[in-house]
Amino acid sequence: MDLQSVASLTGLIIGALCGLVPLAVAIRKRTLRPGILGFVACLFSGFACNVLGGLPMIVLAVAVVISYTYTDKDDPFLSRARLEDVDFEETFGAMVTRRLASLGRTTRGASRALVRNKAGFLGFLGLVFFFVLTVFGPMLIPYDGKPHYYDRRREGAISLFQGPSAEFPLGLDWQGRDILSHIVHGGRSLILTAVQAGVLTTIIAVILGALSALLGGLLDRALTMLANFILTIPQFPLLVVLAGLISFQERFYLALLLAVLDWPSLMRAVRAQVLSLRERDYVEAAVVLDLGLPHIMLREVLPQMISYISINTIFSIQGAMYAIVGLVFLGMVPFTEPDWGVMIFMGRSQGALFSRDAASMLLSPVIAVALFQLSLVLFTRSLEEVFNPRLRAGL
Amino acid sequence: MEATSASPVAQAAPSRLVTWRRVAARVLTGYTGQTVLQGIVTIWAVMTFTFILIRQMPSNPVEIETERLVREQQLSYDEARSRAAALFEFDPDQPILEQYVAYLGKLIRLDLGKSITSTGTQVLDQILEYLPWTLFSVGLGLLISFTIGIFVGMAMAYWRGGLFDNLVTAFSSILFGIPNYIIALLIILILGVQLNVFNVASALGRVDPTIKPGFTTEYLGSVLSHALLPVVTYVSATVGGWILTMKSSTISTLGEEYVTVAHARGLPQRRVLTAYVGRNAMLPLVTRLAISIGFVVGGSVIIEDIYRYRGLGKFLTTAIVARDYTSMQGVFLVIAASVVVANTLADVLYGVLDPRVRMGKER
Repeated sequence: MDLQSVASLTGLIIGALCGLVPLAVAIRKRTLRPGILGFVACLFSGFACNVLGGLPMIVLAVAVVISYTYTDKDDPFLSRARLEDVDFEETFGAMVTRRLASLGRTTRGASRALVRNKAGFLGFLGLVFFFVLTVFGPMLIPYDGKPHYYDRRREGAISLFQGPSAEFPLGLDWQGRDILSHIVHGGRSLILTAVQAGVLTTIIAVILGALSALLGGLLDRALTMLANFILTIPQFPLLVVLAGLISFQERFYLALLLAVLDWPSLMRAVRAQVLSLRERDYVEAAVVLDLGLPHIMLREVLPQMISYISINTIFSIQGAMYAIVGLVFLGMVPFTEPDWGVMIFMGRSQGALFSRDAASMLLSPVIAVALFQLSLVLFTRSLEEVFNPRLRAGL
Repeated sequence: MEATSASPVAQAAPSRLVTWRRVAARVLTGYTGQTVLQGIVTIWAVMTFTFILIRQMPSNPVEIETERLVREQQLSYDEARSRAAALFEFDPDQPILEQYVAYLGKLIRLDLGKSITSTGTQVLDQILEYLPWTLFSVGLGLLISFTIGIFVGMAMAYWRGGLFDNLVTAFSSILFGIPNYIIALLIILILGVQLNVFNVASALGRVDPTIKPGFTTEYLGSVLSHALLPVVTYVSATVGGWILTMKSSTISTLGEEYVTVAHARGLPQRRVLTAYVGRNAMLPLVTRLAISIGFVVGGSVIIEDIYRYRGLGKFLTTAIVARDYTSMQGVFLVIAASVVVANTLADVLYGVLDPRVRMGKER
């Protein structure tokens, strides 16, 4: 996934085109309000991520629109038809509609659960803010990467640092560059790498944990031993050593490395959960019915763990960001400007720590990182509610 | 070990050999023996892993010193190289396997070898020089935040839903979310530079170098005041997690039947809270405390760097930058050993504190 081409005019057009689909469906179904909502959602996600954001949003928006008007005539529990009259053979179209409607209902329930927890919603808003900042921000504020040595220097000033002013809301850094533009442009690779690391961690941990619990035997013992081994090595010092060993010009390798060091704790939790879930009656019933491993894993076991796993993903993202900024902070990975971590490092090495004029150079990225981390932690509260079927059902 | 030391005796008295073997077998298969064996294997594995790893890093101590000499003293490369090679008792061209065998041979005699870059200094002496400072600052921080977490978390669970609970929950989530180095920077930037609460330049470091070391109030006061900033940072970075865990643990304990029974028996409120709720709610936290003690030794590399607090973490980064293989190796070994010991301690402690676990094991 590359966000290099984000928020372009093509994206806007793609988004608008995508938005027409839910709008058309809504007009046919005569429910305009969700249709307009779907149009706006498609417009934004298409704008932000081109086709990658637009197409999934079409499906989601259409699903929500359909769910407003959908009543399942063939559902033996909902319809009033007698059992003999119900036709259990459904056409492909009917099946797609039914699936979409159920997806739409889930989405609506989830978004309601998202709003319910105030702290969680605050975290969600924070994440949206950072998303907008890094994706749409560059359109408004171009990157100011050239050092301006003397043209902006104030009279009588010892350094090029400057505090906030009307022209430069966050002030100027040690080379006289606009700090605001660095904040806007400097979060993208950091957030992207952290998210990649978190997602990779989750994938590795879930797959290995499930395999370990289901297959057992030698593989189980080997994986558990490996996990315990990795847990024994202190992560951050090891990362510092590895940072000298591997070139991290390509940030994806850094994400991969973080994932390789971070999977064991989640893997052990997943393994324990699968082991205990395997004994539950409904899972045993599914096994007896011979529903197949994919069905059992995805439909019976995974929903029980999804809340825990997703919250862990968030914490992995948080941990990855901690590690990345920490490595940059110690000057252990190659720098790519603009980057919040590099700003902190440079601010510190250029003496911004002790100069009042320069406080903005350090404070801005520090607060950005802190707020992002805080939003992540708060967001987990909402995730708990979103993935809790009992809370979600209160439609 | 018993088996090998017994072998020369074997020819003389075969019956004794049998008893020795039996003892050795019992020790090795028993719970304690198993744990010790497993710990030793883990430490050895970490040692081997890091040994290979750190020698794969680009450049080596001689190379780095050579570059320094070329840069600073304008020597020719060959001259600088021979000088650097003469300075260190380290031959970078020696095969890694030979180095490994030599290191392992020394390690069995508990000899961590000599530092490469600080010629003539034993690594063990260096570690003993830096370790107490880290143990003191991180350990004190851990203890304080654990104690605060226990009491505040319990109080929150007891008055849950109230203003106190909501305020502290919000506050601890905020603290929990912010990385420790960010807190350290904020402390220096806002309290130190902007508000001038303390003098930044004199607060950094681990002790005022002008004061003579010794058990004088002046020296101890300086040690304490310099440890204040790191300790405050460690406490504020970890206390949120302890509070939240203790709160949820207490809430689930309050729902237990034995608490209801204790109330029904008319026991005084104080006794129910301390003996029935508090002790049981603390169980999961005590094991977590034991595990975190293992990570105390590693210290916080970044925090020590920010506050120029020369502890083991700072020592490690210095060793990494200078590619001082033996020093790095020593620090990793100490960290791995402490983590293994702490994990074992957590296991044992849980059995001691929770009779249910002990009974389960015996059955």
